[in-house]
Amino acid sequence: MSDITPWGQPGSAAQPAPAPLDLTPSRPVYDGKLGELYGIYLRHLTLMVLTLGWSRFWGRTRLRRYLWNHVSVLGDRFEYRGRGIELMIGFVLVLAVLGLWAGLMWLIWEFGFDAQAIPGLGFMNLFYLSIVFIGIPLAFVGQYAGLRYRLSRTRWRGIRCGMVGSAWTYGGLATLLSMANALTGRLLTPLVSVNLARPRISHSFFGTQRFDFVGNAGDIYGRYLGYYFLNVFVWILAIGIAVAAVIAGGMQLGFTAAELEKLATAPDLRAVLLLIGAGVVLYIVFGLMILPLRCWWQAYLLRYLVARTRAGNVLFASAISTRQMWGFMVLNYLIVVLTLGLGWPWVMHRTLRLIARELWIYGAPQGATIGQPQQRGPRFGEGLLDMFDVTGF
Amino acid sequence: MAARARYYDGKVALARDVAVRPASHELLIVDAVDSSVIARWPANELVVLGDTGHEKAPPVARRGEEGRLVIEDPELRRQLAQTMPPLAALSRPPPAAVPRIALFGITLAAALGLFWIAIDVGSGIVAPYVPYELQRRLGESVAEDLVDEQPLCQGRAGLAAINGLATRLAKAADYPHPVSVRIVKGGPVNAFTLPGGILVFYSDLIDLARDGDELAGVLAHEMGHVTHYHAIKGLARQFGVEQLLKSMTGGFSDLGTVGAGGSLLLALRNGRSFERDADATAVELLEKLGLRADGVSKFFERMLEKQPVDMASVTGIWSSHPPTAERIAATRRPATGAPAFTDAQWAALQSVCGPKEKAPAPDRPKGKPSAPPPPTNRL
Repeated sequence: MSDITPWGQPGSAAQPAPAPLDLTPSRPVYDGKLGELYGIYLRHLTLMVLTLGWSRFWGRTRLRRYLWNHVSVLGDRFEYRGRGIELMIGFVLVLAVLGLWAGLMWLIWEFGFDAQAIPGLGFMNLFYLSIVFIGIPLAFVGQYAGLRYRLSRTRWRGIRCGMVGSAWTYGGLATLLSMANALTGRLLTPLVSVNLARPRISHSFFGTQRFDFVGNAGDIYGRYLGYYFLNVFVWILAIGIAVAAVIAGGMQLGFTAAELEKLATAPDLRAVLLLIGAGVVLYIVFGLMILPLRCWWQAYLLRYLVARTRAGNVLFASAISTRQMWGFMVLNYLIVVLTLGLGWPWVMHRTLRLIARELWIYGAPQGATIGQPQQRGPRFGEGLLDMFDVTGF
Repeated sequence: MAARARYYDGKVALARDVAVRPASHELLIVDAVDSSVIARWPANELVVLGDTGHEKAPPVARRGEEGRLVIEDPELRRQLAQTMPPLAALSRPPPAAVPRIALFGITLAAALGLFWIAIDVGSGIVAPYVPYELQRRLGESVAEDLVDEQPLCQGRAGLAAINGLATRLAKAADYPHPVSVRIVKGGPVNAFTLPGGILVFYSDLIDLARDGDELAGVLAHEMGHVTHYHAIKGLARQFGVEQLLKSMTGGFSDLGTVGAGGSLLLALRNGRSFERDADATAVELLEKLGLRADGVSKFFERMLEKQPVDMASVTGIWSSHPPTAERIAATRRPATGAPAFTDAQWAALQSVCGPKEKAPAPDRPKGKPSAPPPPTNRL
């Protein structure tokens, strides 16, 4: 916890606070039961199969209602009042827009394109290519718009949450930053993380109370560079170990150098087995060395982002550890994959318990000064999210 | 009276501890400390938002207003539910988890089973009605992807011979569309069927065959796939299974489904039952034309001899075939009937990829003569 700095520095600009600051710590309480969650989830899955997936909007809504209402902060439960039909309309709208897009692509294909120019390129290829091209920005747009929708359907103490700002601006920013990060070998990650967290947090409202985010990429660059080069080093080490293990293992199994050379060109059964063995070794090395390192960084980043967030006089902090981040990132992933998706409720349950354990809230909102927000929030939700980014509730 | 509920007025973010007093026509919400009246909600305007199956404490509201009354105390909820009918939902116990999980678990399994059967049966019914032009285009696009790095053989006489026999077999099976056989130079020892009556043979397979009747056996087997529309059926099944998995994992994206179509085409493979059907049809068609039908099993024997050397192909993607020994037993026929190809045709086929030295004798397995029959081959 030593690297958590409480946010409120004396003399911060946006702080009226004449009274002494109440910084009583509290944590959210999650009192959901895994069995109940599974009851809802299995009903959802059954309906999904029977309706070929079209019931998902309602199922997702029910799951959210359960999860939201089983989390309380300062003794008051959250309330989720979204409706399945809103999600479905959002989805159908996006489907229609994509239909128009396909029509446009077809027109370009028919009239603006010399079909023979690129051999092997068909209309569908062009369409998919264009979807990949617009899909990445749209996924970001969808993330922002989806967050806005969920916030607008969330209430606490009877007051709605909300979000301002343009999802398209966010989508553009996120696309540019991600591209720049990819082009610089991910050296811009702190910049990207902080600058994408900022709009998401500081455009969010609880009623009329805005959230503030005062993070700065400079704060975390040192740690990131350490992580980055350590990561490179560990990769080299891991590959070195794997190669050494394969060669040593190969020698022991009686492979000759010539046979090893043949691996790439004409593998036989023994070689295939050897390669599989190498894959397993590499996987274990990867799991033991690289993922923990990554969890270490992610835990640090999350602690930083949480600690730099506040809502009025309420401050936040998290003490999430590398090991907990491992449980969140790696174990949860394994649970979902190894259970073919049936582990979803368990993962949600684990995640909410983690939040309840590791999110600290200092102080209480000055409720009398926080009113109902003016805007009602979007009428439909999450169409883009559903289309381009299908994870999560 | 002790505080037994929380009240939010919907205007500011304040929580008040309140007591509630139900009456026949209204719900009185009073301050828990000084008993001053905070709100009076007419009984006929009360609504419970949500239900106890999802909400731990379903909020009570006055219709059209943003204020909320949240009652955690089960005893108070029971009392309110009894005295005020609109609040009946408050006291309904949440559904018990175990019976619910059992019920939906079983229903889900049954639905999945039904879905699976529907895919299995439905694909068989629908396949012949898929427009031929569409089948053909699908087949062509896969053919391009699969064999674009290997040259096609151009020997006219050989191609005419094999296409002629394919057409005769198609007629014998009442297959209403044209068929076309392509021969790709090189290996592996394989042949496959694509949608739209497109057959692809590798020349290594022709080299391995000892006579025209063995090649005819393989051709008849592939024609079995064609006449049963196995390629399209396989596609339909893949698509169905993919849908099923998508809906199961919750990761349901229509776009992803369509996008996966490309890899799906490449993953074309026929199940064990497809192979058995094709084997049976192969023998049947050859016999119907009065041709020698022993080539089918003889070629399988040759594959079996060859297999131990060719293990790499076993681990390929075409792994859904019945054991070769079983297929040999099922297709063994006497060596009676007319030869499928004339000597000249057979010679033309052997040099269909250009002139070459006499086809070498097939490889003998190196070592391990008693290797168990491999589970698969790629025909």
